[in-house]
Amino acid sequence: MPVYYLEFLVVALGLVLLMADAFAKLEDKRSLARLGVLGLAVIFCLLFIVKAPEAAEGGIWRFYAAPDKLSLFFKGLALLSTILVLIMAIDYAPIVVAQTANPEEGAHPQAGLGEFFALPLFACAGLMWMSSANHLVSIFVSLETVSITFYILVAYLRRNVGSLEAGVKYLILGALSTGFLVYGFAWLFGITGSMELGAITEALGKDSVNPTAALFAFALILIALAFKLGAAPFHLWIPDVYQGAPTPVTAFLSVGSKAAATMVTLRLVSPFLASAPLVGKITAVLVVVAVLTLLVGNLAALPQRNFKRLLAYSSIGHSGFLLMALAAAPRESVENALSSSTVIAFYLGAYLLMTLLAFLVLSSLRSAISGEEIDSYRGLAKRSPLHAAALLVAMASLAGIPLTAGFFGKFFAFKMAIDAGQWWLLAAALVAAAAGFYYYLKIAVSMYFSDPAKGDETAIRLSPLTGIAMVVLMILIVVAGIAPGVIVGLFS
Amino acid sequence: MDLTLNHFLFVSGALFAIGLAGVLVRRNLLVIFMCLELMLAAANLTLVAFSRFNLVDGQPAYDAHVLLFFIITVAAAEVAVGLAIIVALFRTKETTDVTKVNTMKY
Repeated sequence: MPVYYLEFLVVALGLVLLMADAFAKLEDKRSLARLGVLGLAVIFCLLFIVKAPEAAEGGIWRFYAAPDKLSLFFKGLALLSTILVLIMAIDYAPIVVAQTANPEEGAHPQAGLGEFFALPLFACAGLMWMSSANHLVSIFVSLETVSITFYILVAYLRRNVGSLEAGVKYLILGALSTGFLVYGFAWLFGITGSMELGAITEALGKDSVNPTAALFAFALILIALAFKLGAAPFHLWIPDVYQGAPTPVTAFLSVGSKAAATMVTLRLVSPFLASAPLVGKITAVLVVVAVLTLLVGNLAALPQRNFKRLLAYSSIGHSGFLLMALAAAPRESVENALSSSTVIAFYLGAYLLMTLLAFLVLSSLRSAISGEEIDSYRGLAKRSPLHAAALLVAMASLAGIPLTAGFFGKFFAFKMAIDAGQWWLLAAALVAAAAGFYYYLKIAVSMYFSDPAKGDETAIRLSPLTGIAMVVLMILIVVAGIAPGVIVGLFS
Repeated sequence: MDLTLNHFLFVSGALFAIGLAGVLVRRNLLVIFMCLELMLAAANLTLVAFSRFNLVDGQPAYDAHVLLFFIITVAAAEVAVGLAIIVALFRTKETTDVTKVNTMKY
């Protein structure tokens, strides 16, 4: 089966869900999400039997890179995060229904819920396509497929001011970054005369390249990518959007959108890093952005009291580590050197597991715990040991404690910075990691060592599907923390 | 006087700058949205100019035109979604002033 069938299958599944929502008379629309989870699980299994398209295939497939293991790995990440987001959405459905309720007579009591389950599938197809995009047109179209879907999802709770506000902010800043991106693409095309990344790499490597124009194009593209990645100083939208959006969408944003943005960054920045006349300046810019992002994300997380806002700053901080791996790319081939793409792929794999675990706990507690403040998680261990244990593993891994996946992600990024001799980067990363220990573990301490607030001591119910997903993620985090080769083997 | 590539690049650069300034300065969401469209138009003009002046075998490079049509299509989709969100916001808050959309603070 050719690899590009996978995207078609995901889109087809999304259309099936929409049709079933419109025409099948469903009592409980949450069964749509279960159907989606099942379908995506099947497509995930198909990932392991796809084969590369024939080299001779031209036409529209020249927009599609030959599938290396790395792009298949990213497709797997996209599918896995969509599955988990749908599982979260099942738990979150009552809140969506309450905030989108249709006051008309005779309307379905869950009207407006079906699209909430179908839209993530279209975003997933965009993410999967993006991981194979090797042409400026396909990069642009897949990036926008994802972005426009996310605009709708973020503003989905249309009776909720917070969600709408987050939607408007995301829309304006997302569209602004699109403007920068296409203007940068126009200049990149003007300098290199091509839209294919291979030809662009070749053209930028020549000495005849105009360095001023190339740096201008790079600056425009970097601004756009920094918006999408949430890198400082273009991170200001992240806390508001993460806090306002429905929790499953926040999880999808922080994992899916970040993985896609990182993949695009890797593909678009590599031609500039491979160009001998430009590499020095490009690296300097990347180092500055990485240092700023590391410090801003982690230091601003320290005083946060809202859990989703804290995770938003944590996501900015993790962008910093990803950029650090990019900025410390080895210039000449050293033996046993880690390449940026390996480190970034591993980091994203680990980041996906731990962030989704944290959000899974958050969204499954949403109906039992009223607020999103960190204080409302006090004494969680006494009310629901499994939730507390899952959150503990997630926080330990996000902080980077040994024996968790997060440790090796940070370890590889540090090793790259040392190998490249980027001492400023290393210093900033050390400060960032130390700050991370404080604010992640503060939550764990309050879960285990304080008593629940008065009148809140009841045990918390847990749906079986969420419970299974949490246990699987916990096991994967610990396995990847003991034997990182398990994840590395998937893409190299 | 012949029109050269530089003329087109100056005009498109000016359009982009006007659009960006509008996004940063204006407060009405609808005007901000128009300015965003102006930025995309500037990118389109740049693409066409580069394609017309960098001939490949005596023909303009048509790759740029393909990207241009995709940009127009995507911008239309973005406007459709964006206006829907702005209408929903107007229904709950009765304003399209961005400075009044600030319930979430640090």
